[in-house]
Amino acid sequence: MLTRPEALQLVLHRLAALGRELGKPELERADEQTRLFGETAQLDSIGLVTLIADLEEDIRRATGRDVVLADEKAMSRLTSPFRRAGLLADHIVATLGAMPPA
Amino acid sequence: MISWLASRCAAFGPRPALAGAFGVVSFAQLAGLIDDARRSLAALGLVQPTTFAVIGGHGPAATAWLLALAEAGHFAVPLSGNAAEHPAKLAEVNVQWVVATDGLGGNLLPRMDEPPAHALLRALAARGAAGLVLFSSGTSGRPKAMVQDFGAMLATYESRRPNQLPVLALLGFDHIGGLNTLFGTLAVGALLVVPADRSVAAVVAAIARHRVAVLPASPTFLNLLLAAETPGVELASLRVITYGTEPMPESLLLRLRAAFPRVRFIQTFGTSETGIYRTESPDVDSTFLRLDDPGLEWKVVADELWLRSRTQIAGYLNDSNERFTADGWFRTGDRVETRADGAIRILGRLGEQINVGGEKLMPVEVEAVVLAVPGVLDCRVAGTPSALTGQTVTVDVVLAAGQDEEVVRSALRSACRSQLAPHKVPTKVRFVAAVAGERLKKTR
Repeated sequence: MLTRPEALQLVLHRLAALGRELGKPELERADEQTRLFGETAQLDSIGLVTLIADLEEDIRRATGRDVVLADEKAMSRLTSPFRRAGLLADHIVATLGAMPPA
Repeated sequence: MISWLASRCAAFGPRPALAGAFGVVSFAQLAGLIDDARRSLAALGLVQPTTFAVIGGHGPAATAWLLALAEAGHFAVPLSGNAAEHPAKLAEVNVQWVVATDGLGGNLLPRMDEPPAHALLRALAARGAAGLVLFSSGTSGRPKAMVQDFGAMLATYESRRPNQLPVLALLGFDHIGGLNTLFGTLAVGALLVVPADRSVAAVVAAIARHRVAVLPASPTFLNLLLAAETPGVELASLRVITYGTEPMPESLLLRLRAAFPRVRFIQTFGTSETGIYRTESPDVDSTFLRLDDPGLEWKVVADELWLRSRTQIAGYLNDSNERFTADGWFRTGDRVETRADGAIRILGRLGEQINVGGEKLMPVEVEAVVLAVPGVLDCRVAGTPSALTGQTVTVDVVLAAGQDEEVVRSALRSACRSQLAPHKVPTKVRFVAAVAGERLKKTR
């Protein structure tokens, strides 16, 4: 299991790494409110898929659980969990919480 | 009727023909084994063309039996590899006799007493032609049995100029590429060297021991050979490396040319359905090729390569022949790129195309970049489902010893971002102990 602060830490850590790779310093300074996807956001669709893939790997290492963060259900939510860094951290905690015990 | 190839074996006399775990066998000894097989066949008193499975590797007995069956107008089904697959294949072709070979020896075992019923085999029998049956891995998992005129196939080797460059047998005895190596080497009077197994160590040992000059191999094997960092002296006898069976990433070709500056690299191209052809490479550092064999016609239809050859198979025994057009063209399923000067490049299989949010790519373009990243030993690229982009590019990476995953992941993405369009950059990077199968394995 991950706590909300741990999940946010993973997201911000990954955003910073991606920011260095993509040459986007804004991502290295990311916080709860950083917009990820959508208008005026930092990532395009490929960037978002990359972020999610790396996060899924981080979560597998941290918890031993294989999670899928981007599925049809997540995509069809009224408030996209991929809009802001903080919402993505919420989504990680909720996804792990909804999984049956290992 | 004595076949030209059997006569040629007798004429080459004391020259070495085959070397392997069975020792070194001369052409004269091989001619003797062909005689033995002829006598065993005659003793059966067969009155009509009959189907024989020949089980073994590139050994003297197995080779002798294939040639004896071809000249007697029978149907030969060479089998090797995993024996667990043999019963299904024997049943698929309704094999009547099994020749189980082991190096120099062979046992003839009866299986069933029913004449060949399939129309394709009956048509060959009606004109006195021998048949060769090979299996390909069908896309559905059920092997497809392909039948061709064995004599016509062998005839394509008759005009080859003699030489004595030893050749390594790396591709399977039940594979068109492996048989192409076997018959092509026997026809010119050269030595065929059979390694103990297909590991890099066994192949290098066989090359060093028999001064092998010609190595027909897959790009996957050549990549492993480079990774093994074999001392150059072990491979000093190599003059020609032919590569085929899967697309060659150009970055791998460049590394190979740097590692083997004295070796000529020749791309072969072929399919089980149409036979194997040598190609001309207009530029040494590129995998563009020209098909200019008089026995082969080709054209590109909607990015797919179509072939029509004199030696193509008569058809499948157990599958529809929908990949052959009414006028005899074979749709290869290979996606190719055509250059202005008419040279073509094989990009991969049509089914391997990855579609990322409507933008398309072939795995080999990405693999060529990833293979050149320091710390990467091998890789495979594939499309995996994505809720965001339909498919996404996933790469499985085999790391060299002592490499850090995060460092290589980052270097890999940076290399791809600087050299590839954004949709081709792998989003998922998985580190694995080994990658499955051949690069872009063909499913024919």
